[in-house]
Amino acid sequence: MAQMIADAVSQAGANFVDAIRTFLPRIVTTISIILAGWVIAAVLRTLVRRALGWVRFNAMVERAGIGPLLRAADLPPADILAGTVVFWLVWIGFLLSGVDVLGFTVLQGLVASFVLFIPRLIVALGVMVVGLLAGNFLWRATLLAAVNANVSSPRVIAGAVRALILILAGAMALDQIAVARTIVLTAFAISFGAVMLGLAIAFGIGGGGVARRVLERQFPEKRVDHPPDEMSHL
Amino acid sequence: MTSLLPDELVHELMAVGQVDVLVGIPTLNNAATIGQVVKAVHHAFGRYCSRERTVLINCDGGSEDGTRAIVRDLSMDEADTLTLRHSLRTMHRISTPYHGVPGKGSALRQIFAAADLLQAGAVAVLDPDVTSVTPEWIEALVRPVRAKQFDFIAPIYARHPLEGPLVSQLVRPLARAAYGWQIAEPQAAEFGCSGRFAAHCLDQPVWDTPLAQVGLDIWLTGEAVSRGFRCAQAPLGPRTVAPGPLRPGLAETFTQVVGSLFACLEQQAPFWLGRQGSEALPAIGPPLTLPVDAPAIDGERLLQSFGTNLVDLQAILDTILGPDTHAALSATAQQPPPRLHFSDELWVATVYQFLAAHHEGVMRRDHVTQALLPLYLGRAGSFVMQHAGSDPAQIDAALDALSAAFERAKPSLVQRWTGTT
Repeated sequence: MAQMIADAVSQAGANFVDAIRTFLPRIVTTISIILAGWVIAAVLRTLVRRALGWVRFNAMVERAGIGPLLRAADLPPADILAGTVVFWLVWIGFLLSGVDVLGFTVLQGLVASFVLFIPRLIVALGVMVVGLLAGNFLWRATLLAAVNANVSSPRVIAGAVRALILILAGAMALDQIAVARTIVLTAFAISFGAVMLGLAIAFGIGGGGVARRVLERQFPEKRVDHPPDEMSHL
Repeated sequence: MTSLLPDELVHELMAVGQVDVLVGIPTLNNAATIGQVVKAVHHAFGRYCSRERTVLINCDGGSEDGTRAIVRDLSMDEADTLTLRHSLRTMHRISTPYHGVPGKGSALRQIFAAADLLQAGAVAVLDPDVTSVTPEWIEALVRPVRAKQFDFIAPIYARHPLEGPLVSQLVRPLARAAYGWQIAEPQAAEFGCSGRFAAHCLDQPVWDTPLAQVGLDIWLTGEAVSRGFRCAQAPLGPRTVAPGPLRPGLAETFTQVVGSLFACLEQQAPFWLGRQGSEALPAIGPPLTLPVDAPAIDGERLLQSFGTNLVDLQAILDTILGPDTHAALSATAQQPPPRLHFSDELWVATVYQFLAAHHEGVMRRDHVTQALLPLYLGRAGSFVMQHAGSDPAQIDAALDALSAAFERAKPSLVQRWTGTT
């Protein structure tokens, strides 16, 4: 009996030592991959920030009107943000590779999924950047046109244009990375439809006269010259 | 340069031969006024160029109202014939369509190419919409070129100093401070030039740019004064433009004029950045003495939305203006319209910061010029209200002081400009 217990303990100890012998190199490899990944990601982050600094990326972002949006969202300057995104993408890649080495069945395939996810994430980021650029450009163009045409509430109109474009871009980006796709699409369809319906009802009730004047001005029965009180500035 | 001219036109020009004076008229649906302009040109040829070889060339952008037919077939009545019979030479008249991008640039390019082919001694270009054109205008634009070897003649119109605030508040003082020449009308549709200057312009890479279609008037003046051509001004008289349905609104006009001026300054920067002060451009011909009535401008109406526009555009103005200038503008806008005073210094700082922002490309360039329009209306309204009761001499003095303020502040513009080049 005692001998049996001793053999069992000895066997368990031997198995444990074997397991440690087999697993320890994997752990060391995993830690090495994660550490090396961190170093590589940090170097890439520095390189990206410097490269973007050389090409005056922040000035370009400011020129495109994205700078104020980043500040409003409490985000760092664009070059630092881009470097951080690169850092995390690279390091998460190494992290998953390291975890994969451990050979846990439940974690297997994570790297492959992540690698497949990266292109979609990049496309989603691209969609958001284009959305931000387009939204800001159209916001400025609308604001200037409305102010110079003496339209009332120009900031509201321009802000609505930007919000609609950002919502559209956000919905497209989330759809791209397949995050709660059904909920996002449904929510977008409902909110977009509600906004449009609301605008149509509001314009129909409150802006009938305006619509008539706009149409009459657009399609006059007989084309008229500018009003006589309009002075010449040249 | 014959490649710029269609074969049919080349044949017509070959039949005309070498000319001393060429008058060019670019047109597009100007049937209502073109006859009057063509008659004035023929009277000028008969009265003032009777011994010279002359040609009138009309370059048309595809008129659908019979403009070309009027130019081709216009016959002189009895009184006209009496005047014209003194002419010793044939008065040639050509009307031709131009090809390429629709706009004044393509028409002028063809006129200059024709002048080059015909080795014209002097060229005058007229606006077909102007109903006050007289034979004396053509003589005033052409004679200094023929007799005194000037290369470019800018017009001087008889007008009240409160008239045309965009010219008096912005275009004229900015052009004067930048180019260093005191030009009454830097942006004028009428001008005279030598064949040499026309040939020079043809060689410049401007014709295929947007500037050629909407800003050629300013570009020509800038090119003449900044490239060392002999320039002068010619007093013409009052300029009356026929009203037309196609006349653009203020926002479009402002963006075109100011955008063109800024673009010209960008393109011609190497020639004006080092210039300091300003010199008077000689005026050839009798000075204009006709009294001109004050225009009906409602200064308070111009100022109406100044304050709210500033608030609405705050985010955009933050990108263009320095904090001090923006704060000063906001403080100015706080005053009620009757007492609102938009000072010369503040206006100069505003314009220079907009010009620098346009140069640096802080945002799309037409957005920069569009954002300046509400501020211009504020300045114009303030100036009009301030000088509503002043006599023309006092207003002229105030406008001169504004130009001097632009000149004084130019070093700050140059410093910022060269720091970013």
